[in-house]
This record gives sequence, C-alpha cells and structure tokens, in this order.
Amino acid sequence: MFTTVLFYLFAAVLVGAAVGVVVARNPVHSALFLVLAFFNSAALWLLLQAEFLAIALVLVYVGAVMVLFLFVVMMLDVNVAALREGFARHAPLGLVVAGLMVVEMFQVLWVRRLGEPALLAHAQPAAVEAGVSNTKALGTLLYTQYAYPFQLAAVVLLIAIVAAIALTMRKRPGLKLQDVSKQVAVTKADRLRIIKVEAEKRP
Amino acid sequence: MNLQLPPVGLEHYLFLAGVLFSISVAGIFLNRKNVILLLMCIELMLLAVNFNFVAFSHWLGNLDGQVFVFFILTVAAAEAAIGLAILVVLFRERRTINVEELDTMRG
Amino acid sequence: MIPTSLADFAIAAPEVTLLGVACVVLLLDLFIGESRRGWTFLATLLGLALTAFVTLYCAPADRTVALGGLYVADAVATVIKFAAIATMAVVLLYSRDYLSARGLLQGEYLVLALFVLLGVMVMASASSLLSMYMGIEIMALSAYGLVAFDRENPIAAESAMKYFVLGAIASGTLLYGISILYGVTGSFDLNAVQAGLEREVFFGGRHIGLLFGLAFIIVGVAFKFGAVPFHMWVPDVYHGAPTSVTLMLGSVPKLASFALAWRVLAEGLGPLSHEWHDMLVVLSVLSMVIGNIVAISQTNLKRMLAYSTISHVGFILLGILTANAEGYTAALYYTLTYVIMAAASFGMILLLSRQGFEADRIEDFKGLAQRSPWFAWMMLMVMMSTAGVPPFVGFFAKLYVIQAVLNAGMVWLALVAVLASVVGAYYYLRIVKVMFFDAPAERAPALGGSPAFRMVLSANSLAVLGLGVVNGPLIALCQQVIPH
Repeated sequence: MFTTVLFYLFAAVLVGAAVGVVVARNPVHSALFLVLAFFNSAALWLLLQAEFLAIALVLVYVGAVMVLFLFVVMMLDVNVAALREGFARHAPLGLVVAGLMVVEMFQVLWVRRLGEPALLAHAQPAAVEAGVSNTKALGTLLYTQYAYPFQLAAVVLLIAIVAAIALTMRKRPGLKLQDVSKQVAVTKADRLRIIKVEAEKRP
Repeated sequence: MNLQLPPVGLEHYLFLAGVLFSISVAGIFLNRKNVILLLMCIELMLLAVNFNFVAFSHWLGNLDGQVFVFFILTVAAAEAAIGLAILVVLFRERRTINVEELDTMRG
Repeated sequence: MIPTSLADFAIAAPEVTLLGVACVVLLLDLFIGESRRGWTFLATLLGLALTAFVTLYCAPADRTVALGGLYVADAVATVIKFAAIATMAVVLLYSRDYLSARGLLQGEYLVLALFVLLGVMVMASASSLLSMYMGIEIMALSAYGLVAFDRENPIAAESAMKYFVLGAIASGTLLYGISILYGVTGSFDLNAVQAGLEREVFFGGRHIGLLFGLAFIIVGVAFKFGAVPFHMWVPDVYHGAPTSVTLMLGSVPKLASFALAWRVLAEGLGPLSHEWHDMLVVLSVLSMVIGNIVAISQTNLKRMLAYSTISHVGFILLGILTANAEGYTAALYYTLTYVIMAAASFGMILLLSRQGFEADRIEDFKGLAQRSPWFAWMMLMVMMSTAGVPPFVGFFAKLYVIQAVLNAGMVWLALVAVLASVVGAYYYLRIVKVMFFDAPAERAPALGGSPAFRMVLSANSLAVLGLGVVNGPLIALCQQVIPH
C-alpha cells in the first residue's frame, strides 16, 4: 500500500517534469526539469529493486551529463526568444502525439496478454533473496557473461573522448601561454648576457 | 474510510514508460528548432526505454535487462558528449543552433 | 560459453587485433610530428593488413558461439569482415591526397576510421541484440565525429548535427523495440529470442505487442540502411561531409546494414518473417521508386549518388524480404558488389578534386574523355555497372535479386524493380554523356592523384568488369556461406 502511494507520487512528478522539459521557455529550466525527472526515475527504480542502476543514474546523469548540458547551454549565447517562435504553430502536432498516446494505451491492454508463456509465469514479481546485493549480482554478470560488451563499452567511451577532443580543441595562434617545464629548465645562459663595455676614457 | 488502490503491476510501469516515450516524441516535434532541447528529448526517450528494461527485468526475475540498461547509460553518456561537441562546432561556425536556419543543402 | 579468462577472447581475435592497431595508431600519432604524418598513415594500412590476415587465419571451420553467447564466428561474419577491412583500406588509400591537401590527415581521423570498421566487425559477429547495439553505436559515434571532422566547414557541421539527431532518435526507437522483445521472450540472445518467438507463434500468439515491438525494430533497421521514408539524413550527410568521409560512409557501413538485417531479421526474428515481410515490401518499393526519381533532378554528384544509394538499398531489402536462402544470397551478393561500385564512383570524385576544388558537381566531369581518356572509360564502366548494364557486375547483382523475388512468386515486385532500374539508368547515362560529349570547362585543373591511387582506382574499376564477366566464383561464395 505504502509503495503504491509512493509509485503514484513519483510517477506524477516524473510525468510533470517530463512535460516541463518539453514546454519550458528557457533551456536552463528544461535542463533542471530533466534533472528532476532523473531523480524521480531513480526513486522508482529503487522501488523495482534496481539499486545499483538508480544510484548510477543519479551519479552519471545528474552528476555528469546534465552538468555538461548546463555548461553548454550557458557557454553558448543562445537567442532563446527566436527559438520559441513557431511553438504554437507546431502545437497541432501535439494532436498527432496524442494519437501516439492512444497507441500506448493499447500497450496496457496487451500487456495482460503480453507474456503468454514468458511473463504469465511471473505475474508476481520475482522475489529477491534476502542478503543478495543487487550491485554484487550485477557485477558478477558484468565481469563474467557480459565481459565482451563491457570491453566494447570501454571502446565507446574512448571514441567519445577522441571525437570530442578532436572536434572542440583548437590551437589559437598568438595565444600567450606559460610553459612550466621550459621555465624550470631555464639556465643562466638563456637569460643573462654579459657584455663587455669599454670603459669610457676621459678626453 | 478504507481506500484500496490496486497493487502496482508491470503494466503500470510499462504505461509510465509509454507516456514518457510519447512526451519525448512530442518534444521532438514541438522543439524542432532548438537543437539543445532535441538532445534533451533524446535523453528522455532513452530514459523511457530504460524504464521498460528495468520493469521487465524485475518481473521476469532475470538481471539481463538491468545489464542492458547499464550499457545504455554508458552509450548515452558518450552520445551526449559527442552531440554537444558537434553542437559547439556548429555554433562556432554559424552562431546559431536554430534548426530552421540550417538549410544550406537543398535538393 | 561464459568467458572466464583472457584466453577466451581468442575467438574475437580480429576485433582484438583491430582495437590494438587503433590504440597503437593513437599513441604513435602523439609522438610523430606534423610533418611526418605519412608514418601514421602507413601504420594504419599495415594494421589493416594484419587484421585482414588474422580474420582469415583465425576463422573457425564451423559456426561457433562464444563469449557468453554474445559473439558468433561463422562464414557470413568472416566474409563481411574481410570485405569491410579491404574496403576500408581502399577508402583510406583514396582519401590520402584529399585529406592532406585540406589539413585533415590527422591521427584522430585514422583512429575514428578504424573504430568505424571495428563497429562493423562487431555487428557482423553479433549473436545478441546487446552486442549488436554496441556495434551500431561504436560505428555511429565514430561516424558522427568523422562527418564533423572538418571544423572550418559549416556545411559539414550542419550535416553532422542532422545525422546525429536523427541517428540518436533511431537508436532510441530500436531500443524501445528491443525492450519489448526482451519482455516477451525474456532474453536478448538472438537464438533465445528465436526460440521464444517460435514458441509464441506456435501457440498462436501473434499479438499486437509483438507487432508493436517489431515495428520499432524495423524503423531502426530502415534508418541504418537509409531506406525511404527514413532516408532524410542520407542526401544531407553525403553532400555535407568531406568527400573522403562520404566515400567511407557510402561503402563500409552498407556491409554492416546487411549484417544487421541478416542477424536480427533473418536469424533472430525469423519466426516473424511473415510480419516483417510486408513492412519490408513497403520500404523496398518506396526506396527504389523515390530514390531513382529524385536522383534525376540532382546537380550535385554526391547528392545524386546518395539518392542512387537509397535505390540500391531498396534492392538489398528486396533480396532480404523473400525470407529464404536464395534471397539472402542475392542480397549478400548485391551488397558486396555495391560496395565495390560505390568505392569506385566516390574514388573518381576524389581523383578529380584539388585543393579548394571539390569536383562534386556533375558539370565538373565535363569533357573528362579529353582530359583523361583512361579514367573516363573507367568511370563509364562504373556508371554502366551501377545502372545495371550487362556484362558488368551490377547487372548480375540485380538479376539474382529479381530472380529470387520471382521464385518467391512476387511478380509485381520484380516488375517494379525492373522499371525503377530503367528510370535509374537515365541519370547514370547523363554522366557518361557529360564526360564524352561536352567540352571541358575552361579552367579545369589537371588530374592529380599519386600513382598508387591511380593504380588502385583503375583496378577497382576493372574489377567491376572482371567480376561481371567471371561472376561465378563470388556468387558461389555467397551461396556457400549462407546456410540453407
């Protein structure tokens, strides 16, 4: 009963936040709504006993990805007003999307029949044994059966690093930068020049 | 007063995921001009997919679905990094992120 | 089956080798100066040769599933991988002059190109929807980076952005479909999915839920292929990207698309073939008709070739939708030969381009017969082959596909395919006409290209003729690798 109330509470806030992402006037507000949506999703995942993913969602998304989004939004001087134009013009498309919603409603109808052999057997959620940590169970799977895609995930991250740096790093000509190693390695001969000056003779 | 809510089942979660997916698709249609919002809607879409996986994983009683979510999270983070990098390149060149001004190519 | 030690990864030797090569190139480039980039390039080509050798040498005799059921090594995978490696080597060879003239010959470019290839190879060997998804993303993320690689070019950035947004949405829909499939079958291992679906279909469970998931997956696959109506990105990306990247995206990933369709639709979703057959018919007919008709009105050669690609994708889907071994064989043959023709036609644009001159308009080919008769004849052969004129290889590719469709009893589809090819022949012949009967432009620059480039391009074009005249071995190979 308690978890039912929690589910409806978090789900309502989640849907509200998702709508907020779409309709907010300011991209910064959209980003913050998205953060709210991620927090609520994490809470709902906790209800589903996916503890590790819930924490990972908060750490990775709220902690890293959304900060990156906010950073870019603020770095680029975006003319917000111009981008809002035509929002009302596109609104009729909302009707199309409402149609999509109806399709989703159907999804609920067929879910009851969805898993004839596969899901019906699990009409009740599978019980998790007491004392088994979700993180440990996931880790065991990741490092044994899923070791191959785990390596591929590393490749994906490497690609992201290489591509992002190759695209955005620029060497501006004429930039005055300190080169510490050069500063440290400097010797007396580089900086000091001893000049013999002929003493002036009194006439 | 004895209020009895039906217990939350798989279909509730799937419906929630469906609603999230629809909102994200609506957002893609409504915010066709603003690339940053498009990227955020894509994140929302992936969140909806992840909901499906986590819910199925819970009711099927196998962890494979959660493993898939783990990989989607990784890929989505990488995707966001590259997407924002392209956005920055675009903004430096064009001083705009308005999709409707991106029409140099025709045919 | 579950990997317990590093030695278990030996089955994935081609991928491991390629990843090692990419890391070596990445590090090597760091220690090599700007002026000696040629060494990085050479190391990349040597690495590709090594990977090709490992791919052939380590290919197991029988179909082997390993690494937790996520990796499959079979004959189809070996053929696709070898073709992809060879194509990538040729593509890089063609691109070299173009890249160095524009200051793009950087280590990162080569590394991202190697990662595109890695993605293709992972997809070719995926026996689970998870490894397939990782392969798709490895390929796509590297490709986004490559399209935007020329940072001074605003058109490239624009097309990269479009490619990225549409690609990410397609990935999202594909994942949504995969999640529903997982819910129904309880697994994303393709063999288990197949078994689960067979059970499902046996019990008469063709319910709307499965169709719903299947539709989402088809959308994802159609986007990766660039089939109408999910083709919006193809012309813009082909047009906007640097020509060397267009060459790469126009050739190598087509092999991956075939692998995706073959593994997911034919192997995993085989029990639902009745359902996806109808969806593919729509995609295929639209692609052939719209691709060929819109291509006629293009003035930009890269854009025209993009629409021509869309129509060829229609043919590949035509082979797949028959859902029998003959059709799959024809589709594989079509894909392999199309890649050879695409490499040659984009290579020709690269041959004509100079620093500050892209040679991507059709009029840039005016009077090529006077400027360089040899390459005009080469281009003539490539265009004839792409149009499907005998005795070139493109004709046989179309012939086998149409034969498979006829044997499956779909006469009207075969008629549409023939009509679409006839329309398509028009714009290929227009290029031939421009090359042979128009006077060259006043200030047309002389043809460049290193001797190696010219030699490989000539060999590539002659292969179009050679494989057409002696078409037996390649089709026999395709028949041999596709299980019956």
